[in-house]
Amino acid sequence: MSLPIVKISNLDKYFGRLHVLKNISLEVPERQVVCLIGRSGSGKSTLLRCVNFLEDPSHGAVEVDGVRVAAEVKGQERRQLIHDVRLKTGMVFQEFNLFPHMSVLENVIEGPVTVKGMDRNRAVELAELNLDSVGMLFKKDEYPMRLSGGQKQRVAIARALTMEPRVMLFDEPTSALDPELIGEVLSVMKKVANEGMTMIVVTHEMGFAREVADRVIVMSEGELIEDAAPDELFSQPKDPRTRALIDRYRTDEK
Amino acid sequence: MAVTAQQEKAPPSQAEALYQAQLRKERLFRTHVGASWGVLFLILIFLFSGQEIKLGPIQYQTIQLDSEFILKKLGFIAQGLGQTLLISALSIAVAMTLALLAALGRLSTFPPIYAVSTFYVSLIRGTPLYLQIFFFFLALPQLGINLSGVVAGVTALGLNYGAYMSETFRAGLSSVGKGQREAAMALGMTPGQTMKRIVLPQALRFAIPPMGNDFISMTKDSALVSATGFVHELMWRAVKVGRAQFNNLEALIMAAMFYWMLTLILTYFQGKLEARLARGDR
Repeated sequence: MSLPIVKISNLDKYFGRLHVLKNISLEVPERQVVCLIGRSGSGKSTLLRCVNFLEDPSHGAVEVDGVRVAAEVKGQERRQLIHDVRLKTGMVFQEFNLFPHMSVLENVIEGPVTVKGMDRNRAVELAELNLDSVGMLFKKDEYPMRLSGGQKQRVAIARALTMEPRVMLFDEPTSALDPELIGEVLSVMKKVANEGMTMIVVTHEMGFAREVADRVIVMSEGELIEDAAPDELFSQPKDPRTRALIDRYRTDEK
Repeated sequence: MAVTAQQEKAPPSQAEALYQAQLRKERLFRTHVGASWGVLFLILIFLFSGQEIKLGPIQYQTIQLDSEFILKKLGFIAQGLGQTLLISALSIAVAMTLALLAALGRLSTFPPIYAVSTFYVSLIRGTPLYLQIFFFFLALPQLGINLSGVVAGVTALGLNYGAYMSETFRAGLSSVGKGQREAAMALGMTPGQTMKRIVLPQALRFAIPPMGNDFISMTKDSALVSATGFVHELMWRAVKVGRAQFNNLEALIMAAMFYWMLTLILTYFQGKLEARLARGDR
């Protein structure tokens, strides 16, 4: 097994008095695709958002590609470390969050040019490569308003990829999409996975988890309750809560 | 060949026909509104034409204006346009700067900055603009600070509109969703870069139309600066010549026409700007 590229140790998160993540430890090796599943409110999105510090963990540490941020580290040092972590992670949101005042191409080069100080021509080259690979190069001069949800999400994936991250984080990337648009986004994600990207995906798409994930983790009430390869997890769930969850999805699919 | 000819004369599709009908309807509406404006304007002119109307038993003498006075003093009042525009432009620049600072201060988590911002807005909005103009012109000399009429006027107008416009900016800033900030942060942008590249451009786009309204009402409120007696803008000039020769009616009507013209022109440009901003957005 290769080295862990994401390492979460003893992580706790409180929202006010609510204990939403309970002493979570998790290692994700390079090139692995992990799907996080669970009912809404189980803490899966919060855990994902702790990896790039959109949520601040209350206790514990997160390490991405050798950059370790412990909750105790404060001030300027913390800000620098978080910045380093964010450069190593790309994120795709449920609501796409494309910048509406920028064209598709401008959206994609914004990160490399503003954050990394990349030469504009070089950024455009890289952006066009990634837009092409998600099948959105033909819309590069359009504004996000003119795109369908599936197209927006593919652009958002290209935007994250153009930062050349070590890990991609997906936060329910298909939950805001019309059913007929989910497929195009999942197939782009599958392609990214096949190219060897490390991915953590919060999702309700069991088909995707079964087909693409190397590992599926089930969360319930802020804890990791089961962690197994998809074949095993879907055919022989150990925890009754996992079984209940899978059954629920089966009924939904029918 | 016959086929091509037929194609050229093919009747428009039903959708196209309906669309054309709708366009015609909209054009017709605009034409009618324009014509009605013309009629209303003619009625207004007629009311001040000095004509006598006799319709059987009804007799009516319309208002007689002193045209000789108008012709003689038109130039003198018109010279105030420059001052009016200068005061408005300077004041709007001051106001926008203050408004942006106050709106950003309102977002601050640092208590003193938040306090300064809310204190300023509260104090200025809690006192009359007229008082503020006199304060800078008449009260400050007692403290040894002598401001010229223009500087006092611009300071008061700028401070006053800055406080009101900060609310406009604040609404603009809060119109930008949390997801936008998160996307920028996830890319690794600093808070400064996020504000400058992502939040402000969207907030300004949102705030420009109401800011246009503020600018238009400021050009009119600049008339209050005439109260200092030392700024020779439109209002001051109208009052001066009107009082001197007891032709207040003519003088004020002339000034009113100038203000109205100004706001019409500004409204036109505001409309253009809004149409441009509406393109490509959301």
